[in-house]
Amino acid sequence: MNPERRAIHPLVKRMPGAAVTILLVVWAIVQVYPILFMFITSVKTDKQILNAPFALPEPLKFENYAIVWQGDRVAQPFSTFFINSFTITLGSLIILLFVAGLAGYSLARGRFPGNAATQQGFLLTLAVPVHVLIIPMYFFTGELGLRNSHIGMMLVYATLGLPFTIILMRAYFLSFPHELEEAALLDGCSRFGAFIRVVVPVSRGAIASMAIINISWIWSELFFALVLLDQPQVRTLPLAIAGYRPVSMAAESVIGQQFAIMTLTALPLFVFYFLFQQQIRKGMTAGALR
Amino acid sequence: MRRGDPAPRVDTAVWSPLQFYAKNWVSIHRMNFRRNLIWYLFLAPAAIMLLMFMALPLIQSLELAFYEWNGLRPREYIALENFEDLFDDRFFWGALSHTLTFAVFSMVGTVGIGLLLAMAIARRVRGAAIYRFIFYLPVMLPMAVTAALWVRMYEQNFGMLNVMLRSIGLAHLEGTWIASRETALGSVIAVAVWQFSGFPMIILLAAIENIPEDLHEAASLDGISESQRIRYLTLPLIRPVLISISVLQFIFSLKVFDLVWVMTLGGPAESTSVLGTFLYKEAFRKQEYGYASAVAVVMFAVIFTVTYVYQRLMRVEAVEF
Repeated sequence: MNPERRAIHPLVKRMPGAAVTILLVVWAIVQVYPILFMFITSVKTDKQILNAPFALPEPLKFENYAIVWQGDRVAQPFSTFFINSFTITLGSLIILLFVAGLAGYSLARGRFPGNAATQQGFLLTLAVPVHVLIIPMYFFTGELGLRNSHIGMMLVYATLGLPFTIILMRAYFLSFPHELEEAALLDGCSRFGAFIRVVVPVSRGAIASMAIINISWIWSELFFALVLLDQPQVRTLPLAIAGYRPVSMAAESVIGQQFAIMTLTALPLFVFYFLFQQQIRKGMTAGALR
Repeated sequence: MRRGDPAPRVDTAVWSPLQFYAKNWVSIHRMNFRRNLIWYLFLAPAAIMLLMFMALPLIQSLELAFYEWNGLRPREYIALENFEDLFDDRFFWGALSHTLTFAVFSMVGTVGIGLLLAMAIARRVRGAAIYRFIFYLPVMLPMAVTAALWVRMYEQNFGMLNVMLRSIGLAHLEGTWIASRETALGSVIAVAVWQFSGFPMIILLAAIENIPEDLHEAASLDGISESQRIRYLTLPLIRPVLISISVLQFIFSLKVFDLVWVMTLGGPAESTSVLGTFLYKEAFRKQEYGYASAVAVVMFAVIFTVTYVYQRLMRVEAVEF
């Protein structure tokens, strides 16, 4: 009576120590090598890149970075894109966290008619694939002067993040102790005052983790930026990368520069991941299993 | 509640709650509304933003799908013609089938590899923290960067992949990857698997580590082998999470745009065209806004339905979240 003798995948059947280690090491190399390759290539000259793709750079050439930062070959200097991306990410986050915080707090605390219905509504907006909004959005942002505008982009990104963030905020505020705000209300604070002066400062940790969950997708967003930002001076980093599409490697001499741009775009998120690993992974788990 | 408002008049000369309500319902509701006003105000910014940037464009998309419009001339009502054209458009069917192929294979790839990695790490291997760090690293890359990077890796003459194959004597395996119709879609899927397998890995690892220790102990006391433990203990216990993460990966992959756009623009010969890129091209390259809206409606119907069913099945109840 050994039913498990049949129909078990050989890989799963017995994962002896050696095989497990080999699997992990091989996959780790597959995952890390392209990323290392990106860093290494960005500090090589184009001749080195084509003639000795595996070789380590010798000497390290940071020229590529200098060139893209000031904008020699590219129409716009990379610093412009970087500042644009930074402004938009920061602005979107501030709007998103403030609006979602208020709404989540209201849904967690208020016992008003329509509370449950509103939550159901937000849950439905979570299921909307955002790509389908793009055509009307293209036209009315044009009419409102929000196309090619950082403010417009911030409002769009903040809105796209809202459904998800509100639901998480509400869940958090449900577990938030009533006593603190009640004391503030008794002392003559308004609801809003109590929220700003008592609830928000105590919830710094939760608010920071909502920021962490949202930073990486806003920084990387391409689709809406592609449509809503068509002037070169307002573009973001992912657009700068998409614009660098190569034709064939031999015919050009901007490979090193392209890798420098890619590295500079990825680097802030890597540093950020390095600093907040735990929170990022925990946030992802909570977000995915909601 | 504003300060100067007179208190609502309430008639208390009654003999039952029902009669009290019947006599005073206007005042009661007004009082309730005033008391709740602050909660409505707190909700207002979110509600306005979602209405303006989500509900309104959604409705306009649905409406525009019944018109022909190039963005300049007045639009023309053509009823279901866009959908009829869509039905006859082989490029649309191509995009739809590429999207489904992409979604199915990248789901199987990421969840499959993620599960293997999670089970391997859960054995408390040495350096578990490092592996966990490394396997999640590509997930943090902006998709545009991943795509641009892999365009270089896949390049025929100087790209890493072919150079590597040549140098280890496997020159016959050299391919044209994203440059030819036969291999392009597969190559793009491989990049998606490369980037995102770390995501299911993290989720599944958390699920495996949530299995109570005594269950494992009981299992080892019963003297069962590791394969039996995986089959009768680990897999059944993480099944809900496994299903959940698979559906999530599937939905996420249905929305693919960045990867395809930066790597191939949907080419060569539309062999990697997906719904997202098809919609973009019809709208912003060909200025067929009505037709593109019809694509958007189909996309909405497919993805919204899958997501909604998923939310129901997983009992994502807003009220008892």
